Amino acid sequence: MSLDFTLVFRALVFPGFSFIVLLTFLCDWIERKIEARMQNRMGPTYTGPAGILQPFADFVKLLAKEDMVPRNTRSVVFKLTPVLSFSMFVFAMFFLPIDGSNVILNSSFQGDLIFVLALVSVANFFLFLSGWSSSNPYSEIGATRVLTQFLGYDIPLSILAFGPALLASGLSISTIAASQRIPFALLLPWAFVLFIIAVQAELEKDPFDVPHAETEIVGGYETEYSGRRLAFLKLAKDVQIVLGAVLVVELFLAGPYGPVFLDIPEFWYTLWFILKVLLVVVITEYLTCIFARLRIDQVLVVNWRVLMPLSILSLATAVGVAFWLNLGVG
Amino acid sequence: MTSVEEILTTLGNKLGEKMLQTPTPQLGKVSVRVNAGIHRDALKILLDKDESAGISAITGVDLGETIEVMYHVRTHGIIVTIRTQVPKKDPRIKTITDILPGANFHEKEVADLFGLTFEGHPDPGRLVLPEDWPKDLFPLRKDAEITNIENKKENITALDEGNQSSDEGVLTTVIMGPQHPALIEPEKFSLKVDGEIVKEVKPRIGYVHRGIEKAAEKRTYLQDVYLVERICGICNACHAACFCQAVEAIMGTEAPVRAKYLRTIVLELNRIQSHMLLLGHAGLEIGYEPLFQYMWRDREIAMDTMESLTGNRVIASFVTIGGVRRDLKEERIPKIKAGLATLKRRMIFYKNLLESDPTLKMRTKGVGVLERQDALKLCVVGPVARGSDVKMDVRKDEPYAAYDKIPFKMISYTEGDSWARLMVRLDEINESIDILNFALDNLPTGPYRVRVPRIVPAGEAISRVEAPRGELFYYVKSNGTAYPERVKMRTPTFANILSFAHIAEGGNIADVPASFVSLDPCFSCTDR
Amino acid sequence: MTKKIKLSPMLKEVVSQIFRVPATQKYPTVRPKVPEGLRGKQIFDINLCISCGLCASDCPAKAIEMVNVEGKKRPLFHLDRCVFCYQCAESCPRNAIKDSTFFELASTNKYDLVIKPEIDHEKGSKE
Repeated sequence: MSLDFTLVFRALVFPGFSFIVLLTFLCDWIERKIEARMQNRMGPTYTGPAGILQPFADFVKLLAKEDMVPRNTRSVVFKLTPVLSFSMFVFAMFFLPIDGSNVILNSSFQGDLIFVLALVSVANFFLFLSGWSSSNPYSEIGATRVLTQFLGYDIPLSILAFGPALLASGLSISTIAASQRIPFALLLPWAFVLFIIAVQAELEKDPFDVPHAETEIVGGYETEYSGRRLAFLKLAKDVQIVLGAVLVVELFLAGPYGPVFLDIPEFWYTLWFILKVLLVVVITEYLTCIFARLRIDQVLVVNWRVLMPLSILSLATAVGVAFWLNLGVG
Repeated sequence: MTSVEEILTTLGNKLGEKMLQTPTPQLGKVSVRVNAGIHRDALKILLDKDESAGISAITGVDLGETIEVMYHVRTHGIIVTIRTQVPKKDPRIKTITDILPGANFHEKEVADLFGLTFEGHPDPGRLVLPEDWPKDLFPLRKDAEITNIENKKENITALDEGNQSSDEGVLTTVIMGPQHPALIEPEKFSLKVDGEIVKEVKPRIGYVHRGIEKAAEKRTYLQDVYLVERICGICNACHAACFCQAVEAIMGTEAPVRAKYLRTIVLELNRIQSHMLLLGHAGLEIGYEPLFQYMWRDREIAMDTMESLTGNRVIASFVTIGGVRRDLKEERIPKIKAGLATLKRRMIFYKNLLESDPTLKMRTKGVGVLERQDALKLCVVGPVARGSDVKMDVRKDEPYAAYDKIPFKMISYTEGDSWARLMVRLDEINESIDILNFALDNLPTGPYRVRVPRIVPAGEAISRVEAPRGELFYYVKSNGTAYPERVKMRTPTFANILSFAHIAEGGNIADVPASFVSLDPCFSCTDR
Repeated sequence: MTKKIKLSPMLKEVVSQIFRVPATQKYPTVRPKVPEGLRGKQIFDINLCISCGLCASDCPAKAIEMVNVEGKKRPLFHLDRCVFCYQCAESCPRNAIKDSTFFELASTNKYDLVIKPEIDHEKGSKE
């Protein structure tokens, strides 16, 4: 097979790697600006127009700092995990339709929903390993909290993700996104709300902010990182946030599909995609601002006693809705 | 209210070896002098009479051949002082921590700075001085030579147990501090945890000890006003007011009425901004950042008022011996009242929030409970005590400044958890706004300052002020020169630090910041 | 009767704050309004000084040093030690030390923070 120029372009520039990184910076800026305005302060203002270059400036600044590896760490794991988790998240984004089709054009297959969820788990596990391999007790506590939280919330996340899969009668994300003539958020509103809560916990944002509780455990798993590795660790977390938002958009909000004018589908699909992702980011940021941070045992209580039964219930009702839909539509 | 005579007659009847009753220049204060062993009996008599009696402070004074130890007991709203003398050649005295566990840190401080040994103390050791301070140099004695310390330092071989994460059996030691994001000022707390449950807490204070009590003896009274203001930035006006009240009591003068009202205004402004600072900080500790940002934005109203009234946002430098330094002009009052009205409106929002937000209640209700009995035994003061249903407030018990003329309510809650302590402070902000409005409306005319001589006649006096964090206690002794003989300050957080160990034990490690911040610690005050 | 579940007021408050002007003061682009009684840098009028030295002995921070200027003792203000309490202005029997609201005193040069008493040319301090 010869090297296909379109493939390389799609993987590296648009809608692949560069687009994902730029989208991450954009979402980070929107998040910080909205959070600042909700707290009645300014947010990033001076770097670039309205501060839009601030996340990029932070990344570049961290790249220029000294990169220290403490003596007692398991250094191979310590050095590799930031980049590994970042690449896992970006790789998972490759399977989600952005401008109407996947990054790698025929890479969607039946069951890639499960594949994407598994990749997210592996990438989160690498984040845990990054804390575990530091020799700092604060990092260890932070890493175990990350593990407890994301393993716990992965289960309701997957169960809730199967609701749209049932409605679309397929396990491929592209199929699910394409088969939403009415967005599934309107057909399964309770699953939409619960999925957003589960995504909030996966992304470790308030009220499930425990792994980043600086007042208790200093920096969590990021404590011993500095310089380039910290830059990649932070970027990995930001891509995780975008990935969570994109999952919500693909599964419940009809992905990139929307009204097309002037017959340039790629442009309009990308535009609707970006707008919907920004909307979900704003919603999760709103949830962050109105709640305090729960304790780790309260987080687990919410998971196992509230979210799990409700998600199983929602799956059962999704079966009912799928049945009713198929009866009606034929 | 039991009067002074009743307490004196009870003590006289029950004791008998009571030596002599030293007259003090202030009305309502009782002082008895006993032999070195009898102080425990005197304390037990006072406790029998009033179960909510507690140690307010323990003062040591160097009298040359002997060291005088004074136990200031707070009972029935007044202070009863039990004085005893200990010879310097044999500086030992029996402890009272078995009767009142709250005297633990007070005794340790006197032992540290004067070289006394309290026999039977459960945990002797350094409190405010560092570990490598020379062993037989006691700073607050008059004959101490504090020079050339570098060459006299002790060699300390091992620092305390549990460096980082050492596993002794099943207990891990987590050291919180001295630098930690949860603490705004440095102190060290060694927590022994078992999984997530805290089993034991050992505080070590003294990281911000600046030796202010000794420094106050080397400056004139006027310079001391500025010195004691800088003990703590947040409650600075209270320190200045307390010191000035003590010196005025020795001199026998009183500030004019307008000055008393102006002092009240500044003290209440101090209270408002301190409580708002704490409520915002509590929001930050439990991860609720919007509460922090909104609270501190609204706190700016109080800071701007303070700036227009006194000339500075934080360290007011407003109260002086004999009155206040500036006058409040009539044309500024409407603007201040408009600011207070905005603040009152915002307080309704915050009260609504604290009462109804589910995640906030999950983090603070039932967390860090301090029962009433423990609060009395540990001799806590301020909102920590009032949140556990101990009704004590110096503004009501022994009114100073203009508080006897201004009507207000004392706030107390019964639950004793972190939520109750935060609600006490919130309600106190509302009360303070009402006090300020009343004072601004009824400000009397007249002089705002009287001139006082620079040399203060010999005597001693005690003065108490209700700082935002609790009861602030000053003891000033003068020997007839322009420099004070002894200035003793007992700050409210110093009295409350022991209760932190008590409420953190048995809880989650994740609750430690939340319960800690509800105590409102101010370590600059603690260490002086 | 029925217990009303109170919704947290933060839900509405957070949304309404997005549409308000931020509370941040854009200092130093926008100059702040300085209140009238702010204790800023002192202005020393040498013509009223009688060399009594009360300002130096009363200063709590020992920031005033009496130096010899043309045969008389005059105060030299060390602004890096000063706490701006204005006790010197109160103690001076001739009101030779006056207040001002100038507060932007940060400098990279230590000698900017000293008010030297000089006769004739500049009346008092450099601004």
